[in-house]
Amino acid sequence: MDWALLVPLVLNGLIVGALYGVVAMSFVLIYKASQVVNFAQGEFLLVGAWVCWWLLTEWQLPFYAGFLVTLAFMTLFGIILQVVVLRPLIGEPVISVIMATIGLGIFFQALMKWIFGVFAKPFPPIFPADRVLVFGLQIQTAYLLSLGISVLIMLGFAWFFTASKHGLAMRATAFDQQVAQSLGISVPKVFAMSWAISAVVSAVAGIVVGIVNGVSSALSFYGIKVFPAVILGGLDSVVGAVLGGLIIGVLENLAQYVDAEWLHWGNMYTVAPFYALIIILMIKPYGLFGTKAIERV
Amino acid sequence: MSMRRGMLGMVAAAALAMPAAAQQRINLGHLMDLSGATSDVGTPFAQGVNDTFGWLNGRGGVSGRQFNMLAVDYGYQAPRAVSQYQAWSRDRVVGIMGWGTADTEALVRFVTRDRIPYVSGSYAATLTDAAGKSGRPGAEATGFNFFYGPSYSDALRAMLRWAADDWKAKGAPGRPKYVHMGANHPYPNSPKEAGEAMAKELGFDVLPPIVFALTPGDYTAQCLTLKSQGANYAYLGNTAGSNISVLRACQTAGVNVQFLGNVWGMDENAMKAAGAAANGVVFPVRTAVVWGQQAPGMANVEAVSKVSDPTGRAYRPVHYLAGICASMLMAEAVESAIAKGGELTGEKVRDGFYARQNWVPKGFEGVCNPSTFTPEDHRGTLRVALYRSVVSGDTSNGSVQELMANGTMKLQPVATIELERKRELLGW
Amino acid sequence: MSITAPSGEYHASYREDMTIFPTRNTRIALWVGLALLACAPLVFGRYELGLLINIGIMGIAALGLNILVGFTGQISIGHAAFFGFGAFASAYLHERYHIPVALCIPLAGIATALVGLVFGTPAARLKGLYLAIATLAAQFILEDFFARAQWFTGGTAGRITEPFSLFGWVADREESYFYVVLAFVIIMFVVAANLMRTRDGRALVAVRDHYLSAEVMGINLAYYRTLSFGIASFYAGIAGALYAHYLLFVSVEAFNILFSIQFLGMVIIGGLGSISGSLMGAAFMVLLPEVVQAGAEALSGSAIDRALRLGASISFLREMAIGAAIILFLIFEPDGLAHRWRLVKAYWKLYPYSH
Repeated sequence: MDWALLVPLVLNGLIVGALYGVVAMSFVLIYKASQVVNFAQGEFLLVGAWVCWWLLTEWQLPFYAGFLVTLAFMTLFGIILQVVVLRPLIGEPVISVIMATIGLGIFFQALMKWIFGVFAKPFPPIFPADRVLVFGLQIQTAYLLSLGISVLIMLGFAWFFTASKHGLAMRATAFDQQVAQSLGISVPKVFAMSWAISAVVSAVAGIVVGIVNGVSSALSFYGIKVFPAVILGGLDSVVGAVLGGLIIGVLENLAQYVDAEWLHWGNMYTVAPFYALIIILMIKPYGLFGTKAIERV
Repeated sequence: MSMRRGMLGMVAAAALAMPAAAQQRINLGHLMDLSGATSDVGTPFAQGVNDTFGWLNGRGGVSGRQFNMLAVDYGYQAPRAVSQYQAWSRDRVVGIMGWGTADTEALVRFVTRDRIPYVSGSYAATLTDAAGKSGRPGAEATGFNFFYGPSYSDALRAMLRWAADDWKAKGAPGRPKYVHMGANHPYPNSPKEAGEAMAKELGFDVLPPIVFALTPGDYTAQCLTLKSQGANYAYLGNTAGSNISVLRACQTAGVNVQFLGNVWGMDENAMKAAGAAANGVVFPVRTAVVWGQQAPGMANVEAVSKVSDPTGRAYRPVHYLAGICASMLMAEAVESAIAKGGELTGEKVRDGFYARQNWVPKGFEGVCNPSTFTPEDHRGTLRVALYRSVVSGDTSNGSVQELMANGTMKLQPVATIELERKRELLGW
Repeated sequence: MSITAPSGEYHASYREDMTIFPTRNTRIALWVGLALLACAPLVFGRYELGLLINIGIMGIAALGLNILVGFTGQISIGHAAFFGFGAFASAYLHERYHIPVALCIPLAGIATALVGLVFGTPAARLKGLYLAIATLAAQFILEDFFARAQWFTGGTAGRITEPFSLFGWVADREESYFYVVLAFVIIMFVVAANLMRTRDGRALVAVRDHYLSAEVMGINLAYYRTLSFGIASFYAGIAGALYAHYLLFVSVEAFNILFSIQFLGMVIIGGLGSISGSLMGAAFMVLLPEVVQAGAEALSGSAIDRALRLGASISFLREMAIGAAIILFLIFEPDGLAHRWRLVKAYWKLYPYSH
């Protein structure tokens, strides 16, 4: 048992898992509010990271200004996507909606490659100290910031959904659209708002990953990794999404540990979450916290 | 593509109808990776190739005949390269400038069957066994495959020799540990066996290889594994793009390792992108000088560069110069073939590669290193010039040109290792 | 059977009701069309024939996916993995056991069908979105398996295959391989059309439309869902084998997630639940990159080209076109090209009473 390797790996898994949790939360937000499975979640990270990078390098904005402008842009981006692409598809079979988000994903991935190229571009240095020593593991300042932001976002979500009017409206729409409409809640506005919030939150995650690893098309892969996380946690549970993300992050790194110590295959880090996904679908398809769908005739 | 094909069809038809026409264009295929996994290094190399043939055409071509480059971006997908090749073999190309290891190895049988010489961007050692008689299991005759520079395996062997000397010079106790890092793909895997065998021979402890993908990503877990294994020398088998991710992640994780790169693993653009993380990487450089240095042939290099950059301000990384040298090999082989007279065939061009010994293309003395090809052995050179990337400051401000000029980034020569041309090391 | 289609349904026998060709004219049109296609190698160049061959191969695979998605109402984002399995299986069978290629192709189809059944059995328990996610995971897992199973696939380096040959006639050029693909397309499409006329075909449609009622009526849901996966995989396997012996090289890189998405795109653009739609959708997907390329070449050298860097970004433009095509079709033409074609035919048939 190589503790010197295992502990840093688990710590790394928790940090990356927090990011997965943030992305998974945004995914679940869209699913809960509008029953749409967003296969383009990874592209929200990508677009947010590239836009922020562009503002910082092309326009020489200070980080906080660039960050806020990016968030404003992503809000608009999310709303426009929902209005232009998803609203005409309300009521269509689920395969059509899935294909639409897949099509969006492909389109934006290629668009980003066209505009910004295929090379990974690093962010300009933002923090005075690049990394910090925590429990013997050097952690990037950006990752610590992301942990802090993730916790803030989760608390924000919790407050939003329990105490604010719009949050309650969203929960009502998720529960029963027709009753919500009859109570005067504008369902299309709720949909648009859910997409906007999801885009903003994912963009924050994208910017964090971009600061640490550089911005490249690899960010889209977060959108694929989110599926094991939300399936594990339950498709319509925000708490489940967070836990699912953390578990998947740790699982990846544990798989890497097993691979490095005993198996020596080299691929377990990338493929283990998908095996986990299949197993979860077989034994507990609704995840840890998801509500079981009851079929009515 | 239909327009181009139509035109090519007409040219081929005209060629058939008038076999003695002296002004016929020379058809060459060119596979580029401008958008795929290795596009970070594929783009400058392809630029060098295209610019060289453009420059030659501007001077009237070779022997009065101009080149017709059929350049296609195949995105590092071997099946696309194969399907493109099948279109070209019918269009009667007399040579192909290729790129990646996977597609070059896939096309070996095809180019041997169709007798078309193939200069690749891949330096896989399996491409050097021209007659197929090396005795290695599964050896295939690669009589029509060439490349400019040392093979990946030979370059790795040279770096391991240097690493063994470096370990002794440092006076460190015990045996040094070596690990191969790269993607599970023919290009990074190419020198793995040869490297690990050589390392054992030189007294290294060979650790289990570490896998990381050809695309940029988060490789913290791999770096933590590297750290815990206590490796001293690590070979990075991928191109600069993903190597940068590993270098940065390992710097953060506090890994203390001497990285050894392959020819595509480090360049000036990567040094700027990775910053201090790229400091100290040792890797082979295929040309005698880099951009900005003086040599008799640099005037022509700058002329070639002006084909796509009339202002002359662009900085050309090491891969661009290597592209020029590789293209000039093909161009001079075509020249030899035309000089023989009669119809220009791929076979004659291939024989043109054997026409010269210690071959430095005319006009590029001091830039391109000498190559020698023989019908049995396509290892053009066994001399490996090792450089170290030195980054001494912040690279986020300023262009590559400026950073190289003011000394923030430097390519420092380390050693030049001349390997012996051993029969038993051919082909792997 | 009458010469013109009457308005309304006046079938006097089961034969009339189940026929694929309602009028003599449509039957004649089919024979004429086939005759014209058979003459295609005399008229078209190698490049165009290559496009037609690709359309045929993709059409067969798209038809299989359409049976799964359009007729049975399942979802599969892993179709490219089965296509790849068929390609590898055919190459492996030929190289290892020296079975003639003409037999390898159907055998590869059967092997892929068996693998599809294996995946279909657990998939039958999942519905809608969960099935989509499971097939997505299956795509990645199979891709990883292909990359690691050196004995079967040649690993990441791939494997070279032999061309199709029958009693000494070797189909290694576009002109000859075109007939091989044409023959397979005719056979597979006829089989699919007839499948949908049988009891099993109607059971599949019932499973899609209202599975609870179907179950109540005695249709075994798990059996038919699994069968649907098997049939779709069979078609994918045949198409993959045809692809392997056309390109003469198979490698795992070709069978990635983007390829799976392209198959889904073909089915949606062609029209869910339409047999001729599968071929139309395949034609659209194969021709779309050519149109993008032609457009970029027409603009090459001009100010737009330099401003937008079109020349270097062809692959990205191709991908953007695929994504945009899928989205636009879903918004404006959700029933696909087959539906639009039916509307066009109806317009001409009923002119001037087209409303």
